[in-house]
Amino acid sequence: MTAPLHGPAGPIPAAAGIGLRFRHHDAVLRERPRIAWFEVHPENYLGGGKPIAYLERIRRDYPISLHGVGLSLGSADGLDGAHLARLRLLCERVAPGLVSEHLSWSAVEGVHFPELLPLPLTEEALAVVCRNLETAQECLGRRMLIENPSSYLRFRHSTIPEWEFIAAVAGRTGCGILCDVNNIYVSAGNHGFDPRHYLEALPPDRIEEFHLAGHTLRRFDDGRSMRIDDHGSRVCAEVWALYREAVARFGRVPTLIEWDTAVPPLSVLLDEAAKAERILAVETMHADAA
Amino acid sequence: MPTLHEVQSAFAAALRGGGESGLAGWVVAEDFSAPERLRIYRNSCRSVLVEVLRMTYPAVDRLVGPDFFEIAAERFCAGQPPGSGYLNDYGGAFADFLAGLPEAAAALRYLPDVARFEWALNCAANADDAPFLDVADLAGVDPGQHDRLRFAPHPSVRLLELHHAADAIADAVLARDDDAIAAIDLASGPVRLVVNRGPQGVDARRLTQAGQEFARRLFAGERLGEILDGAGPDGAALLADHFVHGRLSGFRIAAEVCGAIQQ
Repeated sequence: MTAPLHGPAGPIPAAAGIGLRFRHHDAVLRERPRIAWFEVHPENYLGGGKPIAYLERIRRDYPISLHGVGLSLGSADGLDGAHLARLRLLCERVAPGLVSEHLSWSAVEGVHFPELLPLPLTEEALAVVCRNLETAQECLGRRMLIENPSSYLRFRHSTIPEWEFIAAVAGRTGCGILCDVNNIYVSAGNHGFDPRHYLEALPPDRIEEFHLAGHTLRRFDDGRSMRIDDHGSRVCAEVWALYREAVARFGRVPTLIEWDTAVPPLSVLLDEAAKAERILAVETMHADAA
Repeated sequence: MPTLHEVQSAFAAALRGGGESGLAGWVVAEDFSAPERLRIYRNSCRSVLVEVLRMTYPAVDRLVGPDFFEIAAERFCAGQPPGSGYLNDYGGAFADFLAGLPEAAAALRYLPDVARFEWALNCAANADDAPFLDVADLAGVDPGQHDRLRFAPHPSVRLLELHHAADAIADAVLARDDDAIAAIDLASGPVRLVVNRGPQGVDARRLTQAGQEFARRLFAGERLGEILDGAGPDGAALLADHFVHGRLSGFRIAAEVCGAIQQ
């Protein structure tokens, strides 16, 4: 058994971590893998019983980040107060190093969809996201990070490029940005923009976490293709290359390996995290030398 | 230009199969049409919710088979989508939905009861944490006050009365135990169950009719003295059983709150 890289719940170190999934709970407690931190979806731990009991044991040895998928920051109807209250209780119980959510929406008129749905990027939507995010930050008593989503659909009446939109959210609310490199690559492929242009437009001082994941290129018989962000495979070479550029531009910040479908053995995630760690080390060494 | 709420309302209608015409005109089509793009989101939502239900209702899934389960679950999700992002709370009405499905009702009349049983297990597994009341916690109570005790159940406790032996059916089908399935008497009458998450995990036990009435009154916070008066000689054993299995979380005497009542 190797010692963990870092101690119990506290700040998320500027190193590689992995998404913690149920099937790895026992392995983490048994093997105490050499990884700097874990990230979980809070929606899986809002109740009592086994899941939160596992998380409370794991957080004794590792910093924890909460990465929400159910708050629906982009809802015109506002936030679900009961959901936010549960999230606050979880934050009090887990003392996460970071709390993040998505630039998306999931709920309208009392119906919740388990998806990160795309927003029309307008001044109205910007005001709604900022208002909801400020409500959430006030309720939780802390800054949050907001993540750029992957998407398969854009609106004709959008007036603000996504990179400007997310930078404006950070500027108006004081939140940080979780830069999902895979999502930039997926959306760039689906909507035909240059992913490097996206990176260049983000405010460097607000980038506080990177996400990396695998996606699928779905090819249709007529030659068309769509990139699907399914988090079910290793990070592809193109995303690793974009990540190198992101680290070179924004510096060393916490980096997460996400894997949500067809979750492999823990060793595979640790292997991907080690690769991210090597890139963090090399790129930041180059930056320091320059 | 549509408002954000108009966009989200139209998007929701499209995801629920209520037509895409309202949204399509606002979507950039290019290589893929609006319906094709929406289908990606609709399929994702549908598969997530079906899997949530499949995990909550594994015995129902096994009884009807994965194909029928998927069809039934999709129909349920379309009609009764989640109301929040906390999906552990989703699917409680599935048993009543199944009871209204003519295909299921004719062939598997016990299916809704199996679903009710599995929902109780799910609720017990995910209920908020709370302390388990120990008999020693009552040590400071004057014995003369015992009759005035009122108890609070652990948040995981559920009482069920089912027409069929759903607990035995669920156990047998999940264990793929054909002998146990064959031994189940569907005409044996109602079963009364108490389901909870105790110190050793989720637990389901059968109750006698007297035990069910005792538990109902105990969990409703009625005075212990009155409950014991109505329970006869078995009262003390019935009460002890609830302590042993962690079904109580706190107590009070009259208006005074003691222990750790969490409701």
